[in-house]
Amino acid sequence: CILHCFLFLLVFGRAIHAIARISDEFWFDPVEKGLALRSVNSSRSAYAYVFFSSMFFQHYCWTAVSQPRQKEKQLSLPCKLIIKSVLLVFRCVNVLERNVEKCSIYANTNDHHITFQLLCKHGVVKTYNLTFQECDPLQAVFAKHMCPNILKVHSRLLADIMIHFPTGQEVTLSVTPMKVCFKSYTEEDTADFSKTMLTEVQLNPDEFDYFQVGVDSEVTFCLKELRGLLAFSEATSVPVSIHFDVSGKPIAFSIEDMVLEATFILATLCDIEKETASQQPPCLSQQQESAEAVASKKPQWNGNAPNTESAKPASPLAKQKITTTPRVATREMTGIEGTAMTAAEDYAMLEEEATDSHWQKVRRLPVVFTVEYLSWYLPECCLSSEVSYFCKYCIFQFRSLFFGAVSCTEKDAISHTFHSLATASDTEEDFGSVQSSQV
Amino acid sequence: MRFRAKIVDLACLNHFSRVINTIAKLAKTCTLRLTDSKLYFILSDKVANGGVSMWCELCQGNFFDEFQMEGVAAEHNEIYLELVPENLSRALKTAQSAKAVKIKLTNKHCPCLRVAVELPSLSSSSRIVTHDIPVGVIPRRLWNDFREPSVPDFDVSIYLPVLKTMKSVVERMKNLSNSVVIEANLSGEMNLKIETDLVSVTTHFKDLGNPPWASEDGCQSSAQGRDLESMAEARIDIKKLQQLLARQQVNPTKALCNIVSKRIVHFVLLHEDVSLQYFIPALA
Repeated sequence: CILHCFLFLLVFGRAIHAIARISDEFWFDPVEKGLALRSVNSSRSAYAYVFFSSMFFQHYCWTAVSQPRQKEKQLSLPCKLIIKSVLLVFRCVNVLERNVEKCSIYANTNDHHITFQLLCKHGVVKTYNLTFQECDPLQAVFAKHMCPNILKVHSRLLADIMIHFPTGQEVTLSVTPMKVCFKSYTEEDTADFSKTMLTEVQLNPDEFDYFQVGVDSEVTFCLKELRGLLAFSEATSVPVSIHFDVSGKPIAFSIEDMVLEATFILATLCDIEKETASQQPPCLSQQQESAEAVASKKPQWNGNAPNTESAKPASPLAKQKITTTPRVATREMTGIEGTAMTAAEDYAMLEEEATDSHWQKVRRLPVVFTVEYLSWYLPECCLSSEVSYFCKYCIFQFRSLFFGAVSCTEKDAISHTFHSLATASDTEEDFGSVQSSQV
Repeated sequence: MRFRAKIVDLACLNHFSRVINTIAKLAKTCTLRLTDSKLYFILSDKVANGGVSMWCELCQGNFFDEFQMEGVAAEHNEIYLELVPENLSRALKTAQSAKAVKIKLTNKHCPCLRVAVELPSLSSSSRIVTHDIPVGVIPRRLWNDFREPSVPDFDVSIYLPVLKTMKSVVERMKNLSNSVVIEANLSGEMNLKIETDLVSVTTHFKDLGNPPWASEDGCQSSAQGRDLESMAEARIDIKKLQQLLARQQVNPTKALCNIVSKRIVHFVLLHEDVSLQYFIPALA
């Protein structure tokens, strides 16, 4: 496709910087409706998606170029760019705005080229020619509207809170209907108390523009990836929505207005507790009973109120104590997503480095993300190897989101996946994304 | 053993933060000594520090609106804590617009200094940010290690030049050499010298003035009867000197140094309510 657009620099530049905090490369995906930028980090624990609708640009022209080989409806061909090269273009965004009158992006997928051109003051024109790599599309599907907890707040407030924590620290967001608290996270069993300083920020629900807590929860995530989004949302002055669930399930920070939307999804720690966990792997019913029985005593292995048990069928599995064998994990994986992932049994686990002792302490994220694999754009030679890679579950330990691929040789598989996720929804949110959970 | 204190005045808070920032730059870990009237930040001269030692004294009344402490025992009404001043500095950094800051000694999982900052917020109740800084309680039998260092029997005592100037000179010298020779005489002259294979640089300061030290028991100190022109010198680690000068945001009321030839340089920086003494040993 050929894409030609002019744009507002500060916001776009901040978006690039925000994505840069996630990974070294990102997906540049122009579609008819606008430009999508996506990125995922190497440990698959953070995913960013920024979409600029065509209205964001002063001039947006997207032309589909037909491919001789195509069998299906033309979808965009995404390309991967190295962030550092693009960052160079948008370095010092604040200064840029003053000096640059126009920025244009021209992409021609046929010759694998993207050109950024900055028309500056005094007739100076800076042209950056970047080559991109063809790649498989990346898309995470996350059911935001299924999250029981939603907070909406201006980015200034979030920035004011985050400033109390050192960069790169893991932070726990703890909510009850009465209060909200952000605190530093330490691993209690290994914490060297003589070293770490612990910070806690207590907030009143009044401070939030929108406050909905369906489930008491404590989610722990890493701040580093978030700071980029905060800077970006300050540039747009759009409030930030936070969607989350219980620990282990991802947390999504998103902003949305008429011309753009951005979502950063971070994995959260799933506490696999201690000695009792590794000794006896309990079965499901036993788990529920024990949880309810000790409800008042606050079960060790999670800090959440037991009322989450009844909320969704998926949740008991989510909190089930993980045993030391990877095989168990696979079974749980399939259980969580219900019917959608029945095909999962066919897929092998990629993660091989786990040793028994390692598993006991590991944090895992039992959430599955689907990556659509669209095969028809790749040259024939790449096809076979790519298929085998993507048709495996990537199960990474230590705070990973799970990316799975659904083979698209049958169209049914795709629609089946989406369909089941859509019907599983029980609550609708008032604001935010109207359409599907597609991000 | 109990300690709780509160700062309400913003100016006091900023002043206190500045002192803590200075300490944080000079010592990674140090001892905080609390008495009912004063706070002391002490770094004793261990090999690990490179022989550097520090003694910083604050009058609590000048900073805190409330200050209550109960020492280990009635006749030893003092508390000695070991802490990382950088943590305290970080905790206070974001308290610039605070309504109040409370500091308390607690012992939940381990002894901590709990700094609770009350910040204004949009809602009816203030936002509270709590920082738990882990501390080590120093037992009484070790208190002797932290006595106030005595003023050494110096050869020359001289007022320092304007710290900003001295700082920029030392910073440039730092790029050329690891050590600097500081020499001074009783005629108000001071030189900073570095010497490498390629270059030697000397910066001369004049008319600095020499502080009058009244000797305590009337006997002759080594400074008296000394030739006014003769220089006392010591070679010290330039990084340590640079660290001392780097953080002086407010010009001290008095800044002087005492040089014991080839042994040690004793810096004294006096502000209205804070006094800082810093000892840098001479290099072999």
